[in-house]
Formats: sequence, structure tokens, C-alpha cells
Amino acid sequence: MSEQQDPTWKELQQEFIKGVEKAIEQVNERDVENIPGAREALLQRLNNMRIHFPNNNGAIFLKSIDDKIQNAFFPNTKDFTEAFQKILKSRTHEQDFIINELLNGFVTSKAKAIAMGTQGPIIDRMVEAFSKRNDFHIVDHQFFAMFGDPNKPRHYIQKQLEELVNLFGLISKELVIEKDKRRSEKKVYTFYTFPPAILKILEEKYLIIDDELGYAYVSEAFDRNIFICMFLANVAINRDDLEKIGGSYTINGISAIFALILILGFMPKLSIDETNPILRDPSFDNQNMSVIPKSWMLKQVLEPLFEPLIKIIAYRIGGGLWLSKIIGSEINKKIHTQIRFLLRDVNKWILGNLCRVEIPIFVEIANIFTEITVGTDTE
Amino acid sequence: MVREKWTDILPRYMTFISHMRPILRETRRIILNLDPDLLLDIEVLDKIRQEEEKRNIRKVRALSEFSAMYRTNVYEIIKDFIVKYREDIPIIDIKDYIVEFLYESIDALKVLQNITNPDQRNIENTYLFQLVKFIEQTIFSRGSSIQIIYENLLKNSANYYECQRHLLMPHTYYREKLENPDFFVIPGLSPKVYQIINNITSLYNLDPNFGEFPEKENYEIPMVLKNEIFSAYIDSIANPEEEAIESLAERIGLRILDGIFLSPQQETVDIFLKNNFFRESKQSDGTIRLIPQFSNETLILYYLAFASMRRGFLSKELINWISMNFAFLIYMGILKWKLTDENIFYSIFKDLQTNEKVLPYLMKLACFPNYLGLDKMKIRDSPQYRKEIFNFIGSQIDNLKDFINEIAIYCKKIEKERKNK
Repeated sequence: MSEQQDPTWKELQQEFIKGVEKAIEQVNERDVENIPGAREALLQRLNNMRIHFPNNNGAIFLKSIDDKIQNAFFPNTKDFTEAFQKILKSRTHEQDFIINELLNGFVTSKAKAIAMGTQGPIIDRMVEAFSKRNDFHIVDHQFFAMFGDPNKPRHYIQKQLEELVNLFGLISKELVIEKDKRRSEKKVYTFYTFPPAILKILEEKYLIIDDELGYAYVSEAFDRNIFICMFLANVAINRDDLEKIGGSYTINGISAIFALILILGFMPKLSIDETNPILRDPSFDNQNMSVIPKSWMLKQVLEPLFEPLIKIIAYRIGGGLWLSKIIGSEINKKIHTQIRFLLRDVNKWILGNLCRVEIPIFVEIANIFTEITVGTDTE
Repeated sequence: MVREKWTDILPRYMTFISHMRPILRETRRIILNLDPDLLLDIEVLDKIRQEEEKRNIRKVRALSEFSAMYRTNVYEIIKDFIVKYREDIPIIDIKDYIVEFLYESIDALKVLQNITNPDQRNIENTYLFQLVKFIEQTIFSRGSSIQIIYENLLKNSANYYECQRHLLMPHTYYREKLENPDFFVIPGLSPKVYQIINNITSLYNLDPNFGEFPEKENYEIPMVLKNEIFSAYIDSIANPEEEAIESLAERIGLRILDGIFLSPQQETVDIFLKNNFFRESKQSDGTIRLIPQFSNETLILYYLAFASMRRGFLSKELINWISMNFAFLIYMGILKWKLTDENIFYSIFKDLQTNEKVLPYLMKLACFPNYLGLDKMKIRDSPQYRKEIFNFIGSQIDNLKDFINEIAIYCKKIEKERKNK
């Protein structure tokens, strides 16, 4: 069925417009802004969204999600290496920070069992484990020694490590020792590393291979984002196989995260009076930051926008299969509230104003919006 | 009985360092006297090392084991370096490089060995004292009141906020209780508490209520509903935090009013007003309303200032974490100052086996009353625990690296001043 006739797509767009109308009502009802003109700018942006989003079969969504978000974080391919390479290429320092904050919370909660029932920085531990060896492998007993709980049996963490390995798409190799030195018993060591094609890509910047000595070190650039790229690539290529990617938990989580990126991209940029103390604050970077209107963050405004946006994202990247996992899902409701907090975590409060750090994906989405609205106005 | 006097700990700190230095000096002497061409034959180095091992006459097993391990590491690194570069660099230059790297390493060990003195004479002039005070001033300031400490921390937060926050967040937070039977004990900041503080910041900035300022007539202070802070948490995941909200609030300068509101304490109002985190707004009825305009660091730095002020009551985990970070920063700062980035022996210094021989004692030394003034008796001696906390040493944040560079520059300054005297 062509997209023009797709009733689900049409319905989702209508739902979003209804959400925008609700948000407009809320902003009209309450004024919490302290920057002159902020409320008006937000109302204007919301009105523009109401008018322009349904145009051309939702062209703004199609361009923002299908082109920008998919290309940067969720490539539409079945090839793991290609997906990984694309995601890795879209990295920038600031973008890393934000994607990191968004995904780290998600991956950590997904892998919570291995974090010993705590909220430990699990990806950091993986980086640590790889950095400590000179063969770019980790071995199960080393992982146990580094992160295991001495009060729990070893197989417990080994099992969880396997889950983590699947989550990131690592590969395993077994080494069988017929007689070990201590007990003269047969011993099986399981080593984990990256797939060979990924190693080739990593060699460009993240891995130093010393052919002469046969060592493989990680470089300074090797960090947690490599694992995040692996995680995203793994989910992207297996998007049709729910079991492989962790079921509806992953689907709801990923859709919510991308919805958040989209929302931040749609935000209007405020101009601040030059006497505003925020401009003199040492942590405010005028070149790369913009103040977010306060009303944008209110629960009453955010919720009606967020709910339909998650569904739109799910439908665009995972089709009906993903959408069916969002509708009426309990997980969705849980993630919903969590994501409102994430929104505050990834931005910066400066003197009472939440500031958005301008990363390429936000700028690109904002540009699509401007381009299309200006284009329509000219017509 | 645990021996924890200065004169007990300092010799322990010196023990391993005083074994490392002679090994490096001896190796340097051997390499210097060796014909460069012989270096091309890797087996020669192996034989030399074996000969050196035979000369080992130490009676203490732990020490002789450590020396053997250390020497093996040194020779392995030298061998790897030669193998790697022998095709590209003339062997005579390789030899010069090795000798140079050894010189630097010996120099670093010399500073570490003389970081202080047994009788703490002229402590103001020792590296240990000056470095502890320098780091303390930036990320764990002292002062006679919370206000003074807060302002000092805020002054340094533009450059080192992430380090300040890092100092407050032990990676072993899961061993801690939010509320201790001993009411005064202050634990570190867990990720969940950090998140809750972020929520509080957001609620104050976005949509606070206002109520009478109990201590000041005609003034209104902002308040947020306690329930609203926890509304995002489902399945009781933040129950312990909710139950301990009063203690948590005190640590960030807030209090519970009327049983349901979270509002600033009187002292906090003064501090926040002074630093622009509250602005006064006159209402039509003549009352003055304090409008919050918090930043990310507003409440976190209060926690840090509070912990610094009551440093005698910090939890075991927090003391271990803070002193470990101080020891690590001092150690890395000295290495950064003495070793060039290309130095091949850096990895030995950063090795967990070397770290655990030096840092635990440095942690204790840094805790003495003249330095950080923390309860050193709370520092754990268990090797398993050390491994647990030292594992996080590698997970450095960029801001920590910047601070280490700053410490290295400060070390140079100390040296210069010493020479000028």
C-alpha cells in the first residue's frame, strides 16, 4: 500500500495534531515563562507544527525520521557492519554526550542483573575490561574478578555476561585447557571480542594493532560510545526479530528516545535580551546552546505531544509490528515518565533556564522544519 | 592492634617505592653500559634479567615477589620497545630513548619517595601538603561556614564541576544506607539520589509553589511538593529515598515544611540569594517573592559543601572514595609532571599491581589532621575492596584529566619556588 493511502499513518498524524492542539491550549492557559517573548515563540512554533506537519503526507516526519534519525542512529540495513559504520560516522563529541545519557540509562536498566542489583555504569565496566588487556578480548573469569559479587555463585555473572554480549553483538571463542595448573582439571575459558569486520573498522581510530608483538591495544578514543553504536546497530538490523532485540522493552525504549530527540529538534530557539544574566554565566556557551521555553517542559504540554510521537517513531522505523507493541503497553507508560526526566538530564540548567546543547541531529531536524515551513509559505 | 600513626604508615608507603627505584637505576646503568648492538639481540636482555634475579637477597617473600614482577615488567617493556622500533629507528637512538625514559621514571619515583618526611618537619613545604591543599581548595574546600565553602566551590565549578561531582559519587554507593542509625553520618551521592536532586532542581525551576518564609516576615519562599518529586518512580523503586527525604533534604540545604513541602532552609536562602540562584520579585501585595533560578550545580555543590563542613562524619564509603581520589590525583599529577606522554614505563605506574602498593598508604597519609582531616581508620585494608575501588581509577572523566594537567603545572610551580629559595 502506498503511503498516501496508508490509513494507520494518517491516523497517527491526526493523533499528533490533536496532541499539538492540546499543548496549545495548555500554553494558552498558563504562563510560566520569565523570558520576554518565550511564550509567544512557543505558541507560534506549535501553531506552525499544527499547520505544516500534515502537509505532503507528513513530509517533516518522513524527512526527520526516515532520513536523519535512521541514518545517524538506526540505519535501515540488514548488514551489521554497515549499520555500525554509519552510526559510528555520525559521532561528534556533544552528540555522544547526549545519546550516551539517553541510551546509557536504558542499556543499564536492560542489563541491570549484571550490575549486581545496582545502577552501576555497566558500559564503563566493559570499556574497562577491554582496556586492561592487550589482546582486545575479555574473558569470563576476568569479568567475574572485576565485577562479580563474591557472595554469589560465579555462573550467575557468566550467564548475565552472555546476555550482555548478545545485547552488544559481541562474538565468543572457547579455549579448552585439558589440565589446568592448579587442580589438573579440564577447564573451558570463554573469550569475547568484536566481530572481525567491526575490528577492521575500529582499527582506523580506536584500536592499535601491533603486528610485530601481536598485541592489540585500545586507543584513547575507545570509549563507551563504541558499545552504544554496537547496541544500536544490533537492534537496527534485527528490528524484525523481537526476540533477538529484547522484545517490547527495547521497542518502547528506543521509540521513546528517538521521540525525545525529535521533540528537542522541533523546539523553537529563543532570543535572549543581552542584559540577561544567563549570558554572563561561565557555563553558558552562546555559540552552541539555546534556551528552551519553560512551558515546553511542563508535563501538561509535553505529554500530549510525546504520546503520539512515540507511536509515529515506532511505526516509521518498525512498521505495524513495532506499533502494536507500543499501543496499550505498560512498559510504554513506565518509560514515558522516565523519559521526562531524561529530557532534563541531557540538557543543562543554567540560572533557572534549561538550555539545549546544539548537536548536529537537533540542528538537522530543526533545518528540515524551517525548510519545509518556509517552502510552504513561499508557495 | 591496628597501627595507624604517621610513623607507622609512612614506612609502609616507602617500602615498595624504595624497591622500585633501585631496580630502575640498576636497569639504567646496565643499558647505559651495554653496547647498542647487543640490544638487538633480545635474548641478551633475558639473560641479564635472569642474572639480576639471582642477586636477589631479600628475605621478605612479598617484597622479593614484587621486585621480580616489577623487574620482569620493566624488561618486557624494554624488549617490546626494541622489537617494535628496531626496523625504523637506529638502535643507538632506541638506547637513548630507553635511558631517557628510565631517567624520567626514576625522577618521578624520587619525588614520590620524598613526598613528605618522617617527622613532618616544615610540612608546609612538602609536596604532599601542598598538593593536598591545592586539590582540596579546588574540589573539597575548607572554611568556617557552609557559605564560605560553597562560594569557594562555586568559584572553581566553572572549570572543575565534573570533578567536584565525581568526588561526591562513590562507585561503591550500593553498600551505603541513606539513613544511618547514627543520624550525623553523611553518605555519598548514589545515581538515584543524583537523579532525585535533578528532579528537585527541575521542579523548582519550572513550576514551584510559594509560601511564607517562616523566619522572615513579608517574604515568600519557593516550595515543591514532596510527592511530585517521586511521582515518576513506579514499582516502589525510590521508596528508600522517599523515606529518607528529610535527611536528603538537609544535605542539600532544604527542609520539609508542613509535612508535604520541600523548601529552602534559612541559611540556604542567604547563600542562594548571594549567588543569584534566587531573585527577588515584589508582588502587588507588597510581599517579596524569592524566585528560584537554579543551575545544575546549585544543590550538588551544597551537598559537597555540607560534606566538607562535616567531614568528621562522612560514611566509610565516602571517605575511601574521597581519599582514593586525592591519592590518585596526587600520584597522576606527579607522573604527568615528570614523565613525557610517550614514556614506555607509564603502563607500569598505572598498573593495578603498582597502584595497590602505593595508593592505599598515600590515601591514609592524605587523611591525617594536617591534610584532609578525615577518619583514616575507616579506610579499608582488604585487597578485594582495593581492587573494587581501584578498578574505577581507569574510568577517568575528561575533566579529571584536565585537573591532572593542572596539578602537574602546579608541581612545576612548587619546584620553581623551592629552587628560588
